[in-house]
Amino acid sequence: MSQFSAVQVPKTETVAIQLTAPNQVKLSGTITQKEPANDLAGFFKALHTAALADQLTEVRADVSGLTFVNSSAIRLFVDWATWLKNERGARYTLRFVTSRNVTWQKTAFMALMSLTKEVLAVEHVT
Amino acid sequence: MSSFERKPLPSSSSRLAVPTSSGGGSRTNDGGALSGRVLVRVICTAGSGALDYTHAFITAYATDHLRGALAQRLSVGAYELFSNALNFGSVSSDIVLELIESDTWVGVRVSNDAISARIAMLSEHLSKLETNAEQTYLEEFRRSVTGGIPRPMLGLARVTHEAGLTLDLQVQDRRVSVTAQCRR
Repeated sequence: MSQFSAVQVPKTETVAIQLTAPNQVKLSGTITQKEPANDLAGFFKALHTAALADQLTEVRADVSGLTFVNSSAIRLFVDWATWLKNERGARYTLRFVTSRNVTWQKTAFMALMSLTKEVLAVEHVT
Repeated sequence: MSSFERKPLPSSSSRLAVPTSSGGGSRTNDGGALSGRVLVRVICTAGSGALDYTHAFITAYATDHLRGALAQRLSVGAYELFSNALNFGSVSSDIVLELIESDTWVGVRVSNDAISARIAMLSEHLSKLETNAEQTYLEEFRRSVTGGIPRPMLGLARVTHEAGLTLDLQVQDRRVSVTAQCRR
């Protein structure tokens, strides 16, 4: 089993998280808690570390079903992209799968792309 | 059953959360204070932890009463304005959140007491957003990456750039009202 697939998925009240493939995580619902990092920062870091250990070339983070997130949650995605950007060795591409129908995703990932384009890809599913 | 009925009511710290009407005429405007029918008014205590429930309630109500994209935009506005009031407002007075509509405009207004330094900071930030919302959003986003000081104000930048809402600030003594609004 890959290390990525073995990462423990946190249980949170408002967001459903699934590891749907050895390189894919899917999040749906909303992230509104004041400190989402308490639940999710460690999880994202574990996925990042596992992806490097598995020598993945791409990680897909499907956030198309994430209908609302607060600013603190956006920072978690920023952090993930920043860890990857700062990685000195072999690294993967972080591909966010997004929805055009969800307002926050259009602007947030466009901005994130402008800051970390060398490690990021954005795909629209709807 | 509507999502208004399905969603939980705001937490017990919120004293009122009912569809209501203030009557009076509607005034359309271009960036000034929005007046019109108050669809929902929520009153809660600062620091009460009512953010999640109140946001869910307002989002459900807006989704039921307005078209989807508009409801999403107002949801962002309600969350960020209410979050700011809870985080930075005076704990000695109530926070009031209202969903307001006129024939041509719809918006969310959050009122709270604040210290003068906070009001000055808010005013300065809104001026920056008014000048160039996109640039301010990107600056705040970049500041999130670097973790710089002062504290990122990405929330208000999201309201203007991401949700495309116009922000209006009204101050009377220590009472601050921020309205995020757009055309229907």
